[in-house]
Amino acid sequence: MAMDDRTIIAILFHWAIAILLAPLFVGIISKTKAILAAKVGPSLFQPYYDIVKLFQKGVVYSRTTTWIFRVAPVIVLAVMLVLALMIPFGIVKAPIRFAGDIFLIAYLLGMARFFIIAAALDTGYSMEGMGASREAFFSCLAELALFMNFVTLAFKTKSLSLSSMIGADAPVRWEVFGPSLFLVVISLFIVILAENCRIPVDDPDTHLELTMVHEVMILDHSGPDLAYMLYASAMKLFLFMNILVPIITPIYSHDAVVGVIVFLAMLVGIAVTIGIVESSMARLRLNRVGNLLLIAFVLAFFGFVVALWKTI
Amino acid sequence: MEITWVDIICVLAVFLSLAIISTRRIVGMIQIFSLQSLLIGLLPLLINSGMPSAREILVAAGTILVKAALVPAVLFWAIRHVSMRSEIKPLIGFGTSVIIGAILIAGAFRMSLSLKIPWVAQYDLLVPCSLATMILGFMLLVTRTRAITQVVGYLVMENGIFLFALLLFDVMPLLVEMGILLDIFVAVFIMAIIVNHINEEFEHAPATFNREKMGESI
Repeated sequence: MAMDDRTIIAILFHWAIAILLAPLFVGIISKTKAILAAKVGPSLFQPYYDIVKLFQKGVVYSRTTTWIFRVAPVIVLAVMLVLALMIPFGIVKAPIRFAGDIFLIAYLLGMARFFIIAAALDTGYSMEGMGASREAFFSCLAELALFMNFVTLAFKTKSLSLSSMIGADAPVRWEVFGPSLFLVVISLFIVILAENCRIPVDDPDTHLELTMVHEVMILDHSGPDLAYMLYASAMKLFLFMNILVPIITPIYSHDAVVGVIVFLAMLVGIAVTIGIVESSMARLRLNRVGNLLLIAFVLAFFGFVVALWKTI
Repeated sequence: MEITWVDIICVLAVFLSLAIISTRRIVGMIQIFSLQSLLIGLLPLLINSGMPSAREILVAAGTILVKAALVPAVLFWAIRHVSMRSEIKPLIGFGTSVIIGAILIAGAFRMSLSLKIPWVAQYDLLVPCSLATMILGFMLLVTRTRAITQVVGYLVMENGIFLFALLLFDVMPLLVEMGILLDIFVAVFIMAIIVNHINEEFEHAPATFNREKMGESI
């Protein structure tokens, strides 16, 4: 890839757009939930205001924490910013792409998760340890389901790079792959709900530490550290939605304006759907969440079997 | 190779069978079965292109009426006195049965590779999905301890057989189709009456009656 000035500016522009857009979708989900509860709800840009407010506050470190607690928010933010360059965004393929980059993406996510868990254990607060153990357990199963989806997509498109599987002009079309794509979409939607601590896996609005999974792990962070964690979780949701949307509607880069509008509209649609799902269900009992993630894995496996069958 | 609505409905039928296996609530199982019967009942209308003939409409309407409306109504009537609406102790746990269901689906697809059936080329998902639904229904029948769940397993198996019979749709006489529907309805009716008798027997049991000792069969 020729690194001339235009390419560098284009990459930086793509990065800036992704960075600026990410917290908006958390705001869309909150607004949807509020509207469905017949409330006015926070503004769509509330996550931005929260992050700016947190940057202006001081940070407090407990005496039981070590360097792990201080370094975790930085690592998590860095991982999310790097991933913003590796996931295709609408009509633009990812600036960093190579064969096998799905493994790097999944393991970078795993590294971020590891540091969140380590920081939670570092505080010595038992509730955070409990949340950390739940997160570790759920992420085992969620990663299994995520990889099964990647296997199905990789089998169909015969490539191991995310941009070739689902990026612009990718050969992932409903006419060809139909039923197995349908199952992959459902399975990926369940994985999105699990990885981003949404109902039915985790309630993001609960105030009881006993029932939290993700929120409790960031309880002790304050000031800019908490801003990094909030932003990183918003970016993670944005990236997962970026993976789901091109599978539902294929994006073609020769029709730039239409492609961008369709992509953004689908992103908003997925955020609204997540808000509707959150408003209409209660969180599952924690020993049933494992079953839900197993079902996501089995759906992806079934999609793979159907994809295999269709090639015979 | 184009996808068709027939493919989507076949895949949905297997998906709903998996959903029945992973549900604990009996009411939920019956509702999912009703949805599955509705989707499968729409298949005779879609299997031949063009306007559906009178025979296809009749079979579809009969199937939907009996299996999506009448049979669930009879099953809900049978459990109206039962207060314990969830499966307590299946022979294998719910997570394990979902994984075994996945292996069985893969096995069904592998098995239909070796079957040499002259099927219609566009509907190539019909045979493996019907085998998968049959096997999943059978697994439900075998691994559950409550009678109502076993009835639902039998009905899911029958849905799979109906899917398979769609291959012979053009040559099967209408009388045979209607006879099968009547048989299913009568079978479920008899099972519901028996379950009702068992329930009433246990209703009048003394207060210290321990269901565990008598075996949990309803």
